[in-house]
Amino acid sequence: MKRRLKTYLPFVNAGMQEVATYRVNWIFYMIGNTLTCIVSYFIWKAVYASNGGGSVSGFDMPQMIAYLVLVYLTNTMIASDASYVIGEEVRDGAISMRMLKPVSYNATFLFQEIGNKLFTEFIIAVPLIIAVEIISAVLSGAVQFNILRLLLFLVSVATAYLINFFLNISFGFVAFATKNLWGVNLVKNTIIGFLSGAIIPLSFLPDPLEQVFLLLPFASLNYTPVMIYMGKYTGLTLLYYLGMQIFWMIAFWALSKLLWKVVSRHLSVQGG
Amino acid sequence: MKSIRRALKMYRIFAAQELKRMMEYKADFVIGIIGFLLAQVSNLAFLWLIFRQVPDLMGWSINEIVFIYGFSLIPKGIDHLLFDNLWAIGHFIVRKGEFDKYLTRPINTLFHVMVEKFQTEALGELIVGIGLISVTLPQLNVQWYALKIILGIIVIPFAALIYTDVKIATASVAFWAKRSGSVIYMFYMVSDFAKYPATIYNRVVKGIITYIIPFAFTAYFPAVYILRDENPIYCIGMTVVISLALLALGVFVWHKGTRAYESAGS
Repeated sequence: MKRRLKTYLPFVNAGMQEVATYRVNWIFYMIGNTLTCIVSYFIWKAVYASNGGGSVSGFDMPQMIAYLVLVYLTNTMIASDASYVIGEEVRDGAISMRMLKPVSYNATFLFQEIGNKLFTEFIIAVPLIIAVEIISAVLSGAVQFNILRLLLFLVSVATAYLINFFLNISFGFVAFATKNLWGVNLVKNTIIGFLSGAIIPLSFLPDPLEQVFLLLPFASLNYTPVMIYMGKYTGLTLLYYLGMQIFWMIAFWALSKLLWKVVSRHLSVQGG
Repeated sequence: MKSIRRALKMYRIFAAQELKRMMEYKADFVIGIIGFLLAQVSNLAFLWLIFRQVPDLMGWSINEIVFIYGFSLIPKGIDHLLFDNLWAIGHFIVRKGEFDKYLTRPINTLFHVMVEKFQTEALGELIVGIGLISVTLPQLNVQWYALKIILGIIVIPFAALIYTDVKIATASVAFWAKRSGSVIYMFYMVSDFAKYPATIYNRVVKGIITYIIPFAFTAYFPAVYILRDENPIYCIGMTVVISLALLALGVFVWHKGTRAYESAGS
């Protein structure tokens, strides 16, 4: 265990340094992404104004604002570049350098990305969680904060990140076959964005569709952690959805292992 | 006149080159278009789900909202199709010193960068945009007369130019900062506000998208003229004026920038 840690810590460190180098860029990208969130806020405000202020599909206005912020937070926390990076590495041959090293291929990515995220997540997560709590308290007139829910949320987000990571690794192993990585990733991200509840809460969907979407792995990525934080999943329901997350995590981990076996046997690197 | 003819001739050569490249990678071209189509489908599904709950959005019917949304995709798609290469200036062309190439050629650098690439994925946006307008227009009670049709068509290239202008000005930042992809992104994302009627925003946001980063003129103002016959001198005229003024600003910053450009060290 200690040796393992020693092996992979440098990757975490390298990831952190990468971010430090491009800090200003990162802030601008974050502002750009926040704008989309602000647009949604105004649309929902208009929806509730046109609706006379009642609740819609189980969400009242303060809850919807909390949902928007939490989805944005979860999205940032679970984000993974793995499919893109793998595609690039296969294409330009850098993958062969990684394969030469006596470390697990997937694990190097994982730890590098965790290093990447440690710093950014902390900066984003703390103020956003505080913001959600203040907004909810002001709009609903009562403090909603619950430490247990926060802890469960963090566990759920960590699981969601691993699902997303292995899903992206698997996707990356397949996607490099096309030269338009950017295009296939756009397709993937759009589908995930919608099915994971990042665009609109899944409870807005017609009932049979909602039931189907809840069974798919994508709901585990974003909808589940957010619903847990908002206290919409409790008791057995909560356990059910956490179990579902763990199931999908293992499934995608196994899939990525399998694909890696296949790919590494057939890999021919161009001009490495 | 002669220089315009020369520019058009050059454009034909660049375009032919791009089409050859595109034919080489047909599958990629299709994937890109599917990506953009899907992104639009996802946004439309969002609107559809919302309108299952409310009959109208602050006085805007679903047909009006979808019309504005569709209209916004057309200028955005045109700019995306023709002048997407400006992003590359911000991402790597300047940083890697590849801008040297443009400086050594007997063509205006900005013109050369702009016409060098086609981004065929943009057809996804254009197809959806035209589709949505054709579906919603017959259901909307719009008064048609010759002037409106003419103005409605004239305004589109100017609206597209607003996107290009913003990209030129923000891409130029790279000449000083080495890279500006994130700056272009930040400003470009403001165009997200243009997809919906400006009246749903508060005064601050409305002010920003009207006076500071004027994306409201790319869709909302032209659309309220078409749908509700609001003041054409403001809605259409200002679009033209603003797009040309921003172009002048962009070109000015660009040329300042090319003078500040220092190639890569290696």
